[in-house]
Amino acid sequence: MMRQCVTAVVSRNETWTGAAASEPYECGWAGEAIVWLRCLGAKGKLAAARARVQISPDGMRWVDEGTRLKFPTKAGALTHARVAHFGNYLRVVANLPKGASAKILLTLTLKE
Amino acid sequence: MKGDLRNKPHPRRAPGDSMIGPESGCQSVVDIARALRLSNPKLSRFDPMSRIIAFNDFDDGFCGWTQLVGNYEHTLDSMLPGYAQHTQPQLSNLANWDSGTHGSFDGNYALKIQTRPNKGAQNVALKRLTFREPGPIRLEFYFTFKPEATDLRLSETDVRSVGFLYDLQTGFEKGGTRVMPHVRFLNASDGVHLQKWQTKSRTAAMKPLGTEGKTVTHYHLAPTDWEDLPGGEQKLCYNEIPTKVNWHYVRYDFDLRTMRAISLRCNDREWDMSGVDPIVMPAMRNLWCMLNIAFFAEADTDKRTLLYVDSVCLSGEFT
Repeated sequence: MMRQCVTAVVSRNETWTGAAASEPYECGWAGEAIVWLRCLGAKGKLAAARARVQISPDGMRWVDEGTRLKFPTKAGALTHARVAHFGNYLRVVANLPKGASAKILLTLTLKE
Repeated sequence: MKGDLRNKPHPRRAPGDSMIGPESGCQSVVDIARALRLSNPKLSRFDPMSRIIAFNDFDDGFCGWTQLVGNYEHTLDSMLPGYAQHTQPQLSNLANWDSGTHGSFDGNYALKIQTRPNKGAQNVALKRLTFREPGPIRLEFYFTFKPEATDLRLSETDVRSVGFLYDLQTGFEKGGTRVMPHVRFLNASDGVHLQKWQTKSRTAAMKPLGTEGKTVTHYHLAPTDWEDLPGGEQKLCYNEIPTKVNWHYVRYDFDLRTMRAISLRCNDREWDMSGVDPIVMPAMRNLWCMLNIAFFAEADTDKRTLLYVDSVCLSGEFT
């Protein structure tokens, strides 16, 4: 059988400020993921900001998986991180500095 | 032999169906096809018309079901808020915090359509096809729904509705129409457990997008204009805690020639839909023969609604 590979747009044109999180995404069928974070517009100082990958046993309770990725700081910028062994649920969170905001496109490339 | 299919009358045999030789016990093509289908455990729980257009078991992947993305031009900011909230469908094994993986109807995975955790939030997943024969089609699927199990209580009124729709357009012709039959099971509203089927025959006005004059949009899933299906109250099995689900069967017959519904069945209830008007509007210049099928979910509290579908069979009556 050919391996399944799916692109999931998890957050589209969402404006993140302060403590922000993507919607939970259930993808236990996949063995690996690439998290793509694209900036569609930004305000304030985002250079030090990081996004964190989180995992969950039930889609409701979350812990840091350990992977971090740079937050893209201007429109058009794209960052990514590779993740594996993540169980059944993934989400991405960030704590953006006061006064900063980013409009984002968060995409998962998932593969068996 | 008891139960031999050769001795059972076929419920849908048409007068013109060819018989190889009833006296000799040989079977018609219809009977042979039916026997083959009944011997297939995946198809045996469906009652399709003569041609299966699509059969989707989500143990095989997404099978062409994706999120309904709204129209836009030049910027995503032009997307209507109703569409902007939509997210990607998921493949779920219905895992629960208290009891582990529930699994799907048959196998491990079901298609999951999940809303955001806001009262009135909606999400839609769809499959985009076109049709080749304007005749009767039958949509069959198994579904179940629950709110996210964030509370240790039954939560039976947290899901507002789940439903399905077709987005159709006639083949290219003068005076063609775009037709959008909508059906939903209104589970609850403002904490009242209503449990009834509804339909829609009107939608919001079209709104132009951008500057090129090529794109328009309208949010046909707005909470307005739903009408009760006469006699459409139905008590669905809901089970006793928010992490137990039971699967329900739906069958919806529609005629692409007349562009009108024929009937709706859910579990043990069936309704004549011939008197129910779908949403009808003038044809759009780029949607000829469109056959889109969508499933949707709607939350009634600030809690995610989860609609699960497994599996789907779309069939048609053509040779």
